[in-house]
Amino acid sequence: MPTMDVDGKKVVWDGKKMILQACLDAGMEIPHYCYHQGLSIVASCRICLVEIESPDPKDPAKLVKVPKLVPSCQTPAVDGMKVHSISPKSVANQKAVMEFLLLNHPLDCPVCDQAGECHLQDYSYQYGRSESRFDEDKAKKPKKDIGKHVVLYSDRCIMCTRCVRFTREISGTGELAVFGRGHREEIDVFQGRSLDNPLSGNVIDICPVGALLDKDFLFTQRVWFLKKTPSISPFSSGGENISIEHNQGRVYRIKPRFNADVNKWWISDDIRYGWDFIHNNRLQTPAAKGVPQELSAAQSIGQLDQAVKKNAATPGATILVLNAFDTTEEMFLAAQWIRRIDPQAWLTLAEPKIDGEDQVFKNPTTGAVTYTLRAEKAPNRRGAEKVLAKLAGNVCKLADVQGKIKAGQIKTAMVLTDPFGHADASLQTAVAGVDTLLVLSTRPDGLVSQASLALPVCTWAEKSGVFENYSGLIQAFKQAIAPLENTRSTGSIFWDLMDLAGTYDPAAVRRMMSELGMTEYAAVALPEHHEKIELMQFTDL
Amino acid sequence: MAFAGPVLLKRIPDDPAKRKLINIDQYMATGGYESLRKAQAMTPEQIIQLVIDSNLRGRGGAGFPCGSKWKFLPKDLHPRYLAVNFDESEPGTFKDRYLTEYDPHVLLEGIAIAAFANRITTSYIYIRGEYHLQAKILEKALEEAYAKGIFGQKIPGTDIVHNCYVHRGAGAYICGEETGLLESLEGKRGWPRIKPPFPAIAGAFAKPTIINNVETLACLPYIIEYGADWFKSMGTASSAGPKLFGVSGLVHKPGVYEEELGIKMSTLIEKYAGGIKGGKYRAAIPGGVSMGVLGTDQYDAELDFDIGKKYNVLGLGTAGVIVMTDKTDLVVMLRNIVRFFAHESCGQCTPCREGTAWMHKMLNRIVAGYGKPQDFDLLMEIGLSMGSMPGTTICGLADGANWAVRTFLQKFPEDFKARLKSDHVQGVTLDAHAAAAV
Repeated sequence: MPTMDVDGKKVVWDGKKMILQACLDAGMEIPHYCYHQGLSIVASCRICLVEIESPDPKDPAKLVKVPKLVPSCQTPAVDGMKVHSISPKSVANQKAVMEFLLLNHPLDCPVCDQAGECHLQDYSYQYGRSESRFDEDKAKKPKKDIGKHVVLYSDRCIMCTRCVRFTREISGTGELAVFGRGHREEIDVFQGRSLDNPLSGNVIDICPVGALLDKDFLFTQRVWFLKKTPSISPFSSGGENISIEHNQGRVYRIKPRFNADVNKWWISDDIRYGWDFIHNNRLQTPAAKGVPQELSAAQSIGQLDQAVKKNAATPGATILVLNAFDTTEEMFLAAQWIRRIDPQAWLTLAEPKIDGEDQVFKNPTTGAVTYTLRAEKAPNRRGAEKVLAKLAGNVCKLADVQGKIKAGQIKTAMVLTDPFGHADASLQTAVAGVDTLLVLSTRPDGLVSQASLALPVCTWAEKSGVFENYSGLIQAFKQAIAPLENTRSTGSIFWDLMDLAGTYDPAAVRRMMSELGMTEYAAVALPEHHEKIELMQFTDL
Repeated sequence: MAFAGPVLLKRIPDDPAKRKLINIDQYMATGGYESLRKAQAMTPEQIIQLVIDSNLRGRGGAGFPCGSKWKFLPKDLHPRYLAVNFDESEPGTFKDRYLTEYDPHVLLEGIAIAAFANRITTSYIYIRGEYHLQAKILEKALEEAYAKGIFGQKIPGTDIVHNCYVHRGAGAYICGEETGLLESLEGKRGWPRIKPPFPAIAGAFAKPTIINNVETLACLPYIIEYGADWFKSMGTASSAGPKLFGVSGLVHKPGVYEEELGIKMSTLIEKYAGGIKGGKYRAAIPGGVSMGVLGTDQYDAELDFDIGKKYNVLGLGTAGVIVMTDKTDLVVMLRNIVRFFAHESCGQCTPCREGTAWMHKMLNRIVAGYGKPQDFDLLMEIGLSMGSMPGTTICGLADGANWAVRTFLQKFPEDFKARLKSDHVQGVTLDAHAAAAV
């Protein structure tokens, strides 16, 4: 494997890489603004310039010093190369670029959302001056409402053009462009257009400064209070890797988490902004026919158990309706439990909503697929199908349930609902006229008012488990926040119903599944969380 | 043999009253397009060798050897393009405009020869947006040349049909930078490209492309006609041939004059431009404002491609000499120059985008009478961190701005220091001064 020397440290890389990328992959930071691995290279911010000594093509043992500073983002790493990113010349350039960038930058970090995760701040600590030598009037540039989700503070912009390249290369929509020239130039949308593509929120993530901000997150929380929990998107079958950012039990925003095989650096706006169901419109008490019931946790479990067992003497009189929004472990536990009570109990799955067709985004120049917005609006249909296939026996389609109820065959239906009500209409039709309807729901609407007993459960952000995406990739996610008061996870309800010891443990359920032959669940681990390399620690100051 | 009279300008009379547009018939009647016929009887390799032997260096500013540039084209990669750099926007430079305004066919013949020698499919004459009249003249001349079969025909001995088009810019100095030109030609924003790939490998529309200046191409017919030795008989050892010099500023007869390279600036001013007008020679810009300034003791500077090291300027540039006298306010002059660069910076690279604007604001303040003692060193330092450390920006614009600022400060420090007063408090901006004055 090729090796180079960067500031006295060995950097090893594989294949063709630029100096900067090889360093970043090896955990070394060279300051950069305009460079983003997912976008084309423009080498225009000029802060990543380094001094290099390159092996002489004629005599590889000999190193030749390149007289110019070279952009590390654009210069290929060569085996045997020596890179000086902290040499006096390189640092002089970094300092000069920082001074230039800060000349007209407003000193409004105290009211800027980006503060705390701002590259300009980070590098300013390292290379900036404590005092400005700019004794002239600062340029004033306007704030612009450029799209449904995004606001642009032009005066904070450093013209790295990452956002422009994003709309040209990733979303392929090209709404953004640079207008004007020289120091008067600004990012803007073309006249009569707005930044409204389904991936628009990503420009906020890639903006290295506080120029492009999220309207949804604007002024709601200082970023240093936020805790990040690695998670998986529950909105579609894509299995997009996300990070739930929360503080004191409240989610403030969702950000993409890099996964080269799934969503790369991006997520769609419906993932980014679709999470208000975590905190709004929640069922918070057990209810009978819509009337809230004062029941302890143990009492509600007992009632649920009783209600199912009531008609269980007749084989095949019970049905469990699964939902592709629950984790595979939860569905497995639920199905196991119902089959323990009645080995001939029916199992079915509420089919996920399919919203048109997959929307594929391509780079208009290269034709490469950059992002796919999945039409199937549920995270875990494959997991549910696996459970059904494993348990087998009496498995039917949701459409056949109504016939069995009418025929008097099915008397009890236990329904796991989805948090969005996608399947509410088909569920209503399917279970109409059933003797005993038991519902687990995050919402107070839907089937709750008809249920003889409805128990509140929590959303995916409040539990952990695994989802299996459209391609069969099994991905685990962590619990981000504590369950809303009086709610618990579907998994913990069935854990208790199964009389298992201790508290609900998805990993233990996965072991059970694996012992039953679902071996792919044996070694599911959380993917490593790629945090931005921390530049400065408080103790360094 | 030295310079024996105009070569490129031989069809354009000295007397302005007698100058008129030379059409293709008049051009051919005076030997025009003979060189093309002669070239077509040669092999491409012979022509390229002849150009290398003639030591023809690019007339656009950098002085890069034309033949070597042609040699960079990958051997079997087609189609190939020729982009003619007619984005003549360097202040003080108007040689290509003058030549083409009266004798457009010499350029077209040069293009046809270069196309033949390099098997070019398409030539684009990228002309500065402000050159309305010149674009019209070129289009008409092109029409005449097409009618005579100079363009739009198979290049003899090949299947390549060579076409030539006039492409008008939209008025940006940066589009004279060769890769900025290519971007603009492709219909994009004129932001210079990062290299590699170099234009010779992937230029216009990602195809191998040669970019030559108008005057460089206009030299080709004469090199073919009279040979490399004749060409080298003019000029100096490293800078061969005749050269168009534009003289402007405080002289009696500003204009374009042809002389051999290496001519003394004093000769150019006195023999051709009618001498200094009102006052004494003080300073001159050798070839476009980005080259820096020649000092009072450099009146006799020999203008060739190697003046850079000799006289502490960036180079000869476009040989558009701007003459300043003891009546010229050099601080205001530099302010105007820096305003130009701040206005024309494309805004891609941080140092240039911010640095040029900073220097412009600072010089505005100094001109307004609010200069501070530390401004001198600061100006010098910005100039250094912006451009003179090699590689800090993608193209040379920042470097040009830096050379102008640095040489003005180095060669005329007293002019600047006289404007810097210690009683102006740090932290007070020009706007604040203006507000206080009201």
